[in-house]
Amino acid sequence: MGTLGGAAIAAPSLCLGQTADRPSTPRTVAILATKVAKYSHAQHFIDRFLEGYGWQGEHHRPSLKLASLYVDQFPENDLARERASRHQVPIFPSIAEALTLGGSKLAVDGVLIIAEHGDYPENEKGQKLYPRHRFFKETVKVFEDSRRAVPVFNDKHLSTDWEECVEMVEDSRRLTFAFLAGSSLPVTWRIPSIELPLETELEQSVGVCYGGVDSYDFHGYETAQCMSERRAGGESGVRSLQALRGDALWARVESDDSLKSLVFSALSRSHSLKAPKGYSIGRPSFSWIRECSPDATGFFIEHLDGFRTTQFLLNGYLRDFTYAGRKKNGEVVSCQMQLPMPPSNTTLADFFNPLVNNIERTILTGKAAYPIERTLLTSGMSIAGVDSLHAGQRKIETPHLDVTYKAREQSTYWRA
Amino acid sequence: MAASTKKKLTVLLDSFESRSPAQHLVDRLLIGYPSAGAWQDPGFDNITVHAAEEVWKEETGLKRRQVECNLNREDKPTNALQDADAVLIVPGGAGVTANEAAIEAAIEITPDNTPIFVHGALANSLQDARRLAGLAAKRSKPLAAGTSLSVAGRLPDIGIPLNAPMKEALVVVQGSFGAGEFAGINSLLPLVERRAGGESGIKRVYRYHGAILWGVARSGRWPRHLLSPSLSRSDSPQGDPVKDGRTQDLVGLGLVEKLASDPRGWVIEHRDGFRSTILTLDGAVADFNFAIEMKDGSVLSAQIYQPPKPNEENYSRLAAVIERFFSSGRPPWPVERSLLTAHLQSLFLNLSLLGGSVTDVSALKPAIAYRPTPTE
Repeated sequence: MGTLGGAAIAAPSLCLGQTADRPSTPRTVAILATKVAKYSHAQHFIDRFLEGYGWQGEHHRPSLKLASLYVDQFPENDLARERASRHQVPIFPSIAEALTLGGSKLAVDGVLIIAEHGDYPENEKGQKLYPRHRFFKETVKVFEDSRRAVPVFNDKHLSTDWEECVEMVEDSRRLTFAFLAGSSLPVTWRIPSIELPLETELEQSVGVCYGGVDSYDFHGYETAQCMSERRAGGESGVRSLQALRGDALWARVESDDSLKSLVFSALSRSHSLKAPKGYSIGRPSFSWIRECSPDATGFFIEHLDGFRTTQFLLNGYLRDFTYAGRKKNGEVVSCQMQLPMPPSNTTLADFFNPLVNNIERTILTGKAAYPIERTLLTSGMSIAGVDSLHAGQRKIETPHLDVTYKAREQSTYWRA
Repeated sequence: MAASTKKKLTVLLDSFESRSPAQHLVDRLLIGYPSAGAWQDPGFDNITVHAAEEVWKEETGLKRRQVECNLNREDKPTNALQDADAVLIVPGGAGVTANEAAIEAAIEITPDNTPIFVHGALANSLQDARRLAGLAAKRSKPLAAGTSLSVAGRLPDIGIPLNAPMKEALVVVQGSFGAGEFAGINSLLPLVERRAGGESGIKRVYRYHGAILWGVARSGRWPRHLLSPSLSRSDSPQGDPVKDGRTQDLVGLGLVEKLASDPRGWVIEHRDGFRSTILTLDGAVADFNFAIEMKDGSVLSAQIYQPPKPNEENYSRLAAVIERFFSSGRPPWPVERSLLTAHLQSLFLNLSLLGGSVTDVSALKPAIAYRPTPTE
């Protein structure tokens, strides 16, 4: 019996394992999507399985075959039917049928849950209620009914409800299937291409990015966490989180010289800092940042081992994801996690390439390419950040986020 | 900049348009720029610009920088240059056409040992490039020319070691005729000069324009097998990906030939037997990529990363290189690279004007041979 996010984990009662041992036929995946439209997350994943993608100097075609789709919504700009028709991939009316290919037993070797984008309600805290947990539970039901489980990938955070997040991870452990989740930020290019060795004596992380709360904040948490988790002792869990805006935010930042210098280190890696009108560059200053980003949000995270993470959303000031960390010897490491967003910078969202490749590896090996605990914790951070804002920027104690884990030796980011 | 004393930088400009190389570089030298994880403060106390009267007229341009950034104006070139500690020359546009008169004036008027950096082309012909390089050597003026492509990052972040055992190379770029070729040369030379033995000079240049480019590929006139590894690094394939975001194997599906609107291929035979190819493929992809086949059959490929507009942070990398050059007096790369650039560009233009398919320069003496600087 262990603990997971403060919740007790039951000993496995139904250990199904991953028995996708069918070497003579290509392994298959099902993708469960909320909607498929140009530049929706599901489009990026589906097309990479159907068309391949650039990888390590060649056009890579996954050895996994996309065998079925379940699509929750079909807006006017739907592309699911076009893709399904052109590639002869069936769209099933239910998740169970997609996973069983219309039969009675699980008939695929991996499942992708891509529940990002689509028309879904928001709760009173402004969180969009994407059906990730529902998709996951219906998947688990098929696993249980079939007495066989296969690897699952969940795009972005697990849920907007902490108990559901825990339940999802517990299910994966109970049924012993590989569970991979999260953002593309931990695995995309880094500029410069830096790696923190395991057990780095790191004392503080800062991430600076853009986007909305309950959306891109998650990418920001993952940006910082994929570096922070490599510190000496590994991840200890999170004690508290406080979100701040306005004067309170900047007063907090201005009072912390260590934090201030790390913010500037992170910003030095940005390729998108807003310059004063008529200039091509501007020296970063907090007065200018405040002017450009009046709704700036900072998330101040205390980890249980004393480590600190601070995450900023600076809309209007930059449009990329940057990281800086300080080691105990004072050395600062920094980089940009590259997220060249189409259509302004590229035509493809190729940061999905390494994410899809890690999914392939997870399904082919039956072992998650990186720990699900990272995404469990970042999901919890995201929820706590929303809660703090909803509670008037109050500090939220997070005893439930006692998620401990060790990062793998290989951090799996894109470097070749 | 590691300069122990802050001195006078003179900048000679032909224009100062928004988001031009001139604005990117002048702003960085005036205000500073991010470099290696920190903000790099300006390396010069005194930055003086000499430009024609009309360049000063735009209220949001140089004139504003006089007020807000202490930029100095000097209308007489002799006054601007005679006590300069370093000179930056930025011609109009992307630097495809050199301002040879400005370069010559800088060489003639500045004090001995004044480093001179030219954005873009050093000259518009090999003859003039040699003349200017010879004059600079005679006057003891360290001279370098180039664009941000010379210092661009790569995705993946691969370095090319000195004396790399290369077999052949392909770069894929875009641009209108002239500009695309110039970008191709500036992308290619920093890569291939690092092959075993260094740059040996060129023997022949072949031109394949239009549909013939694809026909001659079948007979091996250029390394079509390097097209796929090169374009696999692109984030900007055109065609269907623009319409609906799909990924696509442009090469495998035979789409490059259909998408490229005015394909131009330049195959360069070097004197050591090495072969390099520049393709300008507008309409197929919208970023620069390369692939190099090594003698053991392995292939190195990468995107030549150009950070997004409007910031175009590649100019911060170039500013850092220029400031190091001004500080040390050691050119970041041999001036021979600029001679070869001028030579190739003029050969390309002449071949196109004449409608020729090949030009033989094996008799050129001396060959433009050189060794690259040890560090990229």
